[in-house]
Amino acid sequence: MHFTKIPFTNLALQHANIKNELLNAVEEVITHGRFILGSEVSEFEELFALLVGTKYAVGVNSGTDALLLSLKALNVGSGDEVITVPNSFVASTSCIALAGAKPVFVDVGHDFNMNVDLIESAITNKTKAILPVHLTGRPCDMDNISAIAQKYGLFVIEDSAQSVCAEYKSRKTGGLGTVGCFSFHPLKTLNACGDGGIITTNDANLYQDLKLLRNHGLLNRDECQVWGYNSRLDTIQATMLKVGLRYIEEWTDKRRHWAHMYQDLLRQVPQVTTPIDKSYEKAVYHTFVIQADRRDDLKSYLQDNGIGTNIHYPIPIHLQKVSRDLGYSYGSFPISEKQSESILSLPVYPELDSSQVQYIVETISHFYDKG
Amino acid sequence: MEVKYSYLQEQFSNIDPYIEDIRKLVKQGDFTLGSAVDRFEEKFAELCGIPYAVGVSTGTDALALSLKMLGVGHGDEVITTPNTFIASVGAIAMTGATPVFVDNNDSYTIDPSLIEPAINDKTKAILPVHLTGKPADMPEIMSIAKNHNLVVVEDAAQAILASIDGKHVGSWGETAGFSLHPLKNLNVWGDGGIILTKSRDHYEKLRLYRNHGLSYRDEVVLFGNNCRLDSLQAIIAGRLVHQAKTITSQRVSNAKSLDLGLRDLAPKIHIPDRPENMTQVYHTYVIQVEDRDLLLKYLISQGIHAKIHYPIPLHLQPAAAHLGYKKGDFPVCERQCQRILTLPVHQHLTNIQIEYMIETIHNFYLR
Repeated sequence: MHFTKIPFTNLALQHANIKNELLNAVEEVITHGRFILGSEVSEFEELFALLVGTKYAVGVNSGTDALLLSLKALNVGSGDEVITVPNSFVASTSCIALAGAKPVFVDVGHDFNMNVDLIESAITNKTKAILPVHLTGRPCDMDNISAIAQKYGLFVIEDSAQSVCAEYKSRKTGGLGTVGCFSFHPLKTLNACGDGGIITTNDANLYQDLKLLRNHGLLNRDECQVWGYNSRLDTIQATMLKVGLRYIEEWTDKRRHWAHMYQDLLRQVPQVTTPIDKSYEKAVYHTFVIQADRRDDLKSYLQDNGIGTNIHYPIPIHLQKVSRDLGYSYGSFPISEKQSESILSLPVYPELDSSQVQYIVETISHFYDKG
Repeated sequence: MEVKYSYLQEQFSNIDPYIEDIRKLVKQGDFTLGSAVDRFEEKFAELCGIPYAVGVSTGTDALALSLKMLGVGHGDEVITTPNTFIASVGAIAMTGATPVFVDNNDSYTIDPSLIEPAINDKTKAILPVHLTGKPADMPEIMSIAKNHNLVVVEDAAQAILASIDGKHVGSWGETAGFSLHPLKNLNVWGDGGIILTKSRDHYEKLRLYRNHGLSYRDEVVLFGNNCRLDSLQAIIAGRLVHQAKTITSQRVSNAKSLDLGLRDLAPKIHIPDRPENMTQVYHTYVIQVEDRDLLLKYLISQGIHAKIHYPIPLHLQPAAAHLGYKKGDFPVCERQCQRILTLPVHQHLTNIQIEYMIETIHNFYLR
């Protein structure tokens, strides 16, 4: 019997192709020895701002810190509320709590993104910001979010951790709000070999404040303007990310190609719903998330047939232990809750080949055929 | 002759073994809390003779996470010194607590006799800094902490392998935060830090705090930060940890040579006390000198990369304006700021360079 092994992620394959470029870049950093905020960091920041189409970018230690430092720079803290979604990775909520503010959830739509119709009823006089998450690499409905933000005088903090190169009406995510926050975690579409993140913005003052906040509040070697953090993007990670930038368009095209292939082929499987691209958006498929009948059984079946899958995320944040004091319960966000029981992420990395995608679809199809 | 402050080029003149390790890492893709982090944590704990170690992204985070894990936050006060690197205080501010300064002593560490008057009902913790790599007076500090029911977090960023009576820093407080910054005695190729603790309970909590509060992939038990030591940095630290003792003894020996060569310049040059029961590890070699600014200029003109750690006390920084301190509040620290000078003391100095520094300083005062 034909047996293929397709892991959910395969960093080794990605890096096999660019290993020499990465290692050469690292060697250059060792040679000059400027491990902390070396020139590669500002070079990468410039290139990344250019990619997103913002004036500025500030490299930081992680995607979580990108969000946290943004909230801090915007003075969001104790007594404030920030509106976000419960179906994200926990960092989009923890950053709010870590800043001292209160996370307020609104439910999502069928595209896994913030349901803009629910935002206004969640706004109170304490609301300071909206934090939409471009989950799976699909842009949120930014026109409506921006309009509401403008109407109520709120900041928009885009959680773009999963959406490098994603576009909404031909504009890149991360350039549509007050700030865009990106992650370069090893499993992101543009990935470092460790933790890393970046903040994009068009606001010159915010840019200056963020540069202070990430580096101990230091104006220069000796003068400290504000109590800050130490949240710098390592030079070594920046130099490797510069290598990744050479490939990101190509990698993104491939992810989209596999996503579209899944969408085509899975049409024949009525028990599975695939995500749909709207005409005005370019989704980059950090994850390819289907909704499936008998999800857990399907997941095991795929596993038994050598196919790694994952669930992003099985427990909505409002039902996590950590949220017990936020006043939500089961039933508060029915769409997120329902989706958490049916969602399944399929492999979608650039290094897949079409026979693998076909095999995955056939296996899914076979699971439902056998009953 | 040039005597550089940074030694990274000498230290990493042969990077092949490191690159080989990184090549393997890139091949495996084990980048986040990978086995390299576990291995380094074990080795570091063993090196210092303390049961538990938790790798984090920076020395600053090592302190901030320790304080948060101990429940220090908004409305609390934490006592520390104003003559440290900003991060000691930045870490306190990050938790939402208020930093409260007390003056330091001649050895650049917190003056224990001034701690009690600074304690009030809001005080939650003492954060002594083992500045320059010389341990603060931990027996005295611990007894004060015990009497007032305070927790102690040791800022050991500069003090890997420092000890009092053979007892390592990190074994007094609830935790100790270490930095692995590129110019620390044990250094990595970017930012990194590590926390030591004797408490299994603290250890387990810290592991949650550094990784999103995740008890496993899908369950979140607290809102934690993302403060992980990169596997890549743990690989570098994992190699260098075996050299930590050699690096330390070389720095101690260099410091002794400098002490010996400069002692006759007293009182123009003041060398702090070197108590026999302490191992100080000379992250920096800081003396107090007359005509400091002129001497600094002269040394630099002679190719010696001398520095000042730190020229502006923290209570006089713009960031501290809201704390309400003023010039004159901490006379020992403020006076030292005018007089302190840091000479290179790193493990790659040659005897010739050390002699050259001694001779150059003599020339300055005797000309």
